[in-house]
Amino acid sequence: MALPKRIVKETERLMSEPVPGISAVPHEDNLRYFDVEIHGPSGSPYEGEPPDNLRLRAANYMHTPFRGVFKLELFLTDDYPMVPPKIRFLTKIYHPNVDKLGRICLDVLKNNWSPALQIRTILLSIQALLGAPNPDDPLAADVAKDWKEDENRAIATAKEWTSKYAVPESK
Amino acid sequence: MSWQDSEEPPTKKRRFFSDPVEDLVYPGTTNNAAAAATSQTSAAPPPQQQPPLPARPAQDASSNGPNAAREDPPIAFDLATFESFIGNKVEPEVIDVLRRSCRGDIQKAVNMYFDGTYKKLMKASPAPKPATQQTSQTDEEAEAQKRLLYRHQLDLLEEQGRARLKSATQPTHYTLTAEEEQKEAQRVAENRRALDLMQPYLSRVAKRESIPESRYIGAFGAEGWATRSGTNLLKFGDPVRITREKMQQPRPGRDRNDVIVRFTDAKGMEIGRLAKETANWVSSLIDQGVCKFEGTCFYAPDRLRTNETVYLQLKAYIIKSAFENGNVDLAANRTTTFFESKETTQERDLRLRQISLVKLFKEINLAPTRANEVAKNGRQGLLDAAEADEKKEKANTNTKNGNNPPGSSPPSSDAEEGEELEQGQLDALYRKAQSFDFNTPEAEPADTFAMDLRPYQKQSLHWMLSKEKDQKNEDRGVSMHPLWEEYSWPTKDCDDKDTVQVEGQPCFYVNPYSGEMSLQFPEQEQHCLGGILADEMGLGKTIQMLSLIHTHKSEAANIAAANPIDSVNQLSRLSNKSSNVVAAPKTTLVIAPMSLLAQWQSEAEAASKEGTLKSMVYYGDEKVADLQSMCAVSNIASAPDVIITSYGVVLSEFTQINKKGFRSFHTGLFSLNFFRVILDEGHNIKNRQSKTSKACYELNAEHRWVLTGTPIVNRLEDLFSLIRFLRVEPWNNFSFWRTFITVPFESKDFMRALDVVQTVLEPLVMRRTKDMKTPDGKLLVPLPPKTIEIVDVELSETERSVYEHIFTRAKRTFSNNIEKGTVMKAYTTIFAQILRLRQSCCHPLLVRNQDIVADEEEAGAQADAAAGLSDDMDLQSLIKQFTANTDVEKNANTFGAHVLQQIRDEASNECPVCSEEPMIEQTVTGCWHSACKKCLLDYIKHSMDRHQTPRCFNCREPLSLRDLFEVVRHDDDPNAGSSTPKISLQRLGVNESSSKVVALIKHLRALRKEHPVMKSVVFSQFTSFMSLIEPALTRANMRFLRLDGTMAQKARAAVLEEFRASNRFTILLISLRAGGVGLNLTQAKRVYMMDPWWSFAVEAQAIDRVHRMGQDDEVKVYRFIAKDSVEERMLKVQDRKKFIATSLGMMTDEEKKLARIEDIKELLS
Repeated sequence: MALPKRIVKETERLMSEPVPGISAVPHEDNLRYFDVEIHGPSGSPYEGEPPDNLRLRAANYMHTPFRGVFKLELFLTDDYPMVPPKIRFLTKIYHPNVDKLGRICLDVLKNNWSPALQIRTILLSIQALLGAPNPDDPLAADVAKDWKEDENRAIATAKEWTSKYAVPESK
Repeated sequence: MSWQDSEEPPTKKRRFFSDPVEDLVYPGTTNNAAAAATSQTSAAPPPQQQPPLPARPAQDASSNGPNAAREDPPIAFDLATFESFIGNKVEPEVIDVLRRSCRGDIQKAVNMYFDGTYKKLMKASPAPKPATQQTSQTDEEAEAQKRLLYRHQLDLLEEQGRARLKSATQPTHYTLTAEEEQKEAQRVAENRRALDLMQPYLSRVAKRESIPESRYIGAFGAEGWATRSGTNLLKFGDPVRITREKMQQPRPGRDRNDVIVRFTDAKGMEIGRLAKETANWVSSLIDQGVCKFEGTCFYAPDRLRTNETVYLQLKAYIIKSAFENGNVDLAANRTTTFFESKETTQERDLRLRQISLVKLFKEINLAPTRANEVAKNGRQGLLDAAEADEKKEKANTNTKNGNNPPGSSPPSSDAEEGEELEQGQLDALYRKAQSFDFNTPEAEPADTFAMDLRPYQKQSLHWMLSKEKDQKNEDRGVSMHPLWEEYSWPTKDCDDKDTVQVEGQPCFYVNPYSGEMSLQFPEQEQHCLGGILADEMGLGKTIQMLSLIHTHKSEAANIAAANPIDSVNQLSRLSNKSSNVVAAPKTTLVIAPMSLLAQWQSEAEAASKEGTLKSMVYYGDEKVADLQSMCAVSNIASAPDVIITSYGVVLSEFTQINKKGFRSFHTGLFSLNFFRVILDEGHNIKNRQSKTSKACYELNAEHRWVLTGTPIVNRLEDLFSLIRFLRVEPWNNFSFWRTFITVPFESKDFMRALDVVQTVLEPLVMRRTKDMKTPDGKLLVPLPPKTIEIVDVELSETERSVYEHIFTRAKRTFSNNIEKGTVMKAYTTIFAQILRLRQSCCHPLLVRNQDIVADEEEAGAQADAAAGLSDDMDLQSLIKQFTANTDVEKNANTFGAHVLQQIRDEASNECPVCSEEPMIEQTVTGCWHSACKKCLLDYIKHSMDRHQTPRCFNCREPLSLRDLFEVVRHDDDPNAGSSTPKISLQRLGVNESSSKVVALIKHLRALRKEHPVMKSVVFSQFTSFMSLIEPALTRANMRFLRLDGTMAQKARAAVLEEFRASNRFTILLISLRAGGVGLNLTQAKRVYMMDPWWSFAVEAQAIDRVHRMGQDDEVKVYRFIAKDSVEERMLKVQDRKKFIATSLGMMTDEEKKLARIEDIKELLS
């Protein structure tokens, strides 16, 4: 099946007008399958450590000088954009709305999906979710519990996980 | 001794031929006889007794005297020549005998020498005597030898009178008594009278060459069985006489005639009879005087017992009279059989004669030297056909008896007659008729003709001129009559002896279809001063005809004055009724379908230099009261050159005349003898039974032409009607036609029937096709390219449900009938249902009750009006409405106004769902968010399928299907006027027509955007569908015209003229039936076919209205086909039909029915 015009256009735009702190690159052998990287938003426990000043960084990373980089996979089913894309975290993350398998609890990925939303907007939503965890609508129950009981400790754990796992691959 | 010295004229062909009839005709003989009658009143033996036998040849020859005198005398008997022939010296007395008996003909002498007959002659006349002196023959033995020699003459004499024969066989001299002399003289006189009557025939015969009384044509073996016992009755080499005695009239109630043929020994004693299968046909040949037979015994047991088999060799001789009698009335009689309740004896004889002849030729292994290709191989087929014919006739007589009183011409049940031609056969026929020779000379049209003709048109002009002026076209040459075969006389007989040859007559001709025989070359005669111009559509038949009208004008006054007989001849048919038919020597009458009248007139004017051609439409109110005086010679200066009228007018005038019973007060079409009559779209008269056809036959004109692109629509009979109109003898006789074309065709002898048709057509028809190429490989008429594209139309859900409903019902009916085995009976019902199914593909309204639909719509519209939403909203006013509200509810409505303005903004027009840019059929929600129509609908459907409330993809407002509006831009409409393109919103699904109409409008919009002044044609079979397309066109602000079968001629002409003259984007809606033929719509460049027809040919013909000569631009054709529907399957049927027709060609009725059921199965699968 030929790639729908919509996916082509979205992919092109993701390349030509990248969103700061977000990258999504389709696989060469399956253009519906994307490798995604999201930088933890600044001020959030997922921001990561300040970067090594000596390290050269890619231009699109300039605005996000911290090192919390989360990998996700994104797949566009045949019904896209009637149904939302399938997306999950590959990088381990300590977040009340993301479970151990990396699945994400987010309304726009579920009932509030609209075909007018796009990969770009979904990824932005996820990035926003990192900035504003919502333990009241949890997916990872234990994490949510921690979060509610002792938010500071939970944030510390999240930071710890971020430095531990959300490390950009050395190029 | 030279023959001049002899008192008797020279004799020729003495050995094999004698002429018991002919001698009586010869005046010289009459004189002799008369002289004898006067000088010999007593019964005493006259001094110049004529021994009956030797004298016969003399008389025979003398009968040919006058002719013989004219011809080259045979090579004179010259000793040296003779001896050089023979190769050695010959004894003087032998020479003497030979010289005497051959009367100077060396050929005969040589023959006699070699076959040894001279020896017998020497015995018979040992002393040389002058030929005039009668030999007295008292010797029994000599007499027997003579009889042997002239046995065949005796056989003939048998026919003349057995009494004479008897006396001749008696040893005493035969004496003519005075009484007999007188009788003889009387008979002579009678025969001369008879001969005079037959002169038209005989003159041809007699002028050429003397014809021997009978000629050898071949020999064959036959079995006989003995009727008596005895020893040495017959042995090898014994001559036997074949005699035929009609015992009595066939006994009443018995069908079979007696066919007994006896053979007797030389003395006339019956030995046996011929075996029945031989006797069957030998008897009828003898009875009917076609042949005589001489037999030789091949084998007979020494002791012959009754019923034992005797083997004979029979030599067949054709009797001269066979060539004369048959011709007179055979054809006519033979064919009436089919309509007579019972075969008359005469007809039966003729049929027997035909079959017997064919059998004879088969037995003697005589093959035609020239015949139609097919006929050569079809000998057995002919016999089979004849026999089948016989059976069929028997079967038919019963059924036909009831309907048709004997003698009534065409039976009333003709509607079904004539099998349909399969496509393949039609192709084959056309291929034959299309052997157009590109070297045909060209003719230049007259100066007054204002158009340029293409080379092929000049060629046909030349052909038409020569047809009208009856010039023989040398290229085509003289063709043999298709029904005849040419045979050579054998030069050797069965004993390898030379047979006598007649100079100038190496051949004879037989019509194996009727049993006719002739010595003359049966030329195919055509006296029709016109023909059929059957060029394919678009090759300019009208123009060619107009060029003929200009180029061949009768010298009106001259012809009218100098040749009044001419018109009388033409009118012979009507002479009894018409007392006052007047010649219209200047006028050509054109009869065309009503829709083409205006076109004819305008083309006639366009093709003529100004003032050189006066044309006039004779129709309706424009009819002239007194056509007769207008066109008559007296008014020649101002008479119109061309009168154009419709088939309807011809019919109605014809009916009027018939009502009145006489036409003395009639001054219309039938009161004139036109110079020329032209039937345009001549297949209008394909049914010879229709009144229109009959009316057309009765039109009077010197030249008769038929124009048609399809001379045969689906039956060979179609062609007959054209031939009938053209008055081509003899084919315009339906019986004749039926016998030689329809019947062979129906008895599956397709090739022969088609062959005959081809021969009939060849001199009459000029046909070129568009795909013909000139020798240098160019098309006759280079036409711009044409592309046909099938547009798949997806039915909407509601349409689909209507369709499915009808589909299920049709399928149920069909399978029920299949179970019951009544498919063929319920055929009509099933087809009616399939028709509904097809209609539902076009628009569900076509099958739904329109009132209900209207009510529903009205109710919906009222609800909307109450909600403040009208179906059509002008965007400008909406924006105004919203901006007006801005002050009050700022937040809510600025957004709305913003969107509405965005709608107009090209830049923001990417679909949020599919990213198409601009959106395809931009549609807005009730909350004013836009997407492609399809995306939006898909999304709503997707949500509904999951039992979710559809919400706006943008603002998540709940969506309602009713509150969707399609944005209609009028930027494709050049006449919108204002600088800002007008935009309006149209409620989705309300004003919208069916998917097909929507698809059409979409195409038209795209077209208007690209070619703002292009004209297109939209074809549909359903006029009601056209009525549903109209409002959609109106909404899209497209100018359209309509042409259908219900419109009066004037209205049609007006529509066509308007369409032609229009210089803006215009659409012509035409019903397939009204506009399928003839029209010239080359101003259009696009064709939209709204619904498929069973055979693509019909659609192709419609397309050719646009893609025809005169088209100067590429033509694009779009065929709208509902996806996954009966229409898609119809395309398959169309394909398969093409395939079957071309691959098989011939199917039986049963197979056809099966194929039809297959069609339906396929449609309902």
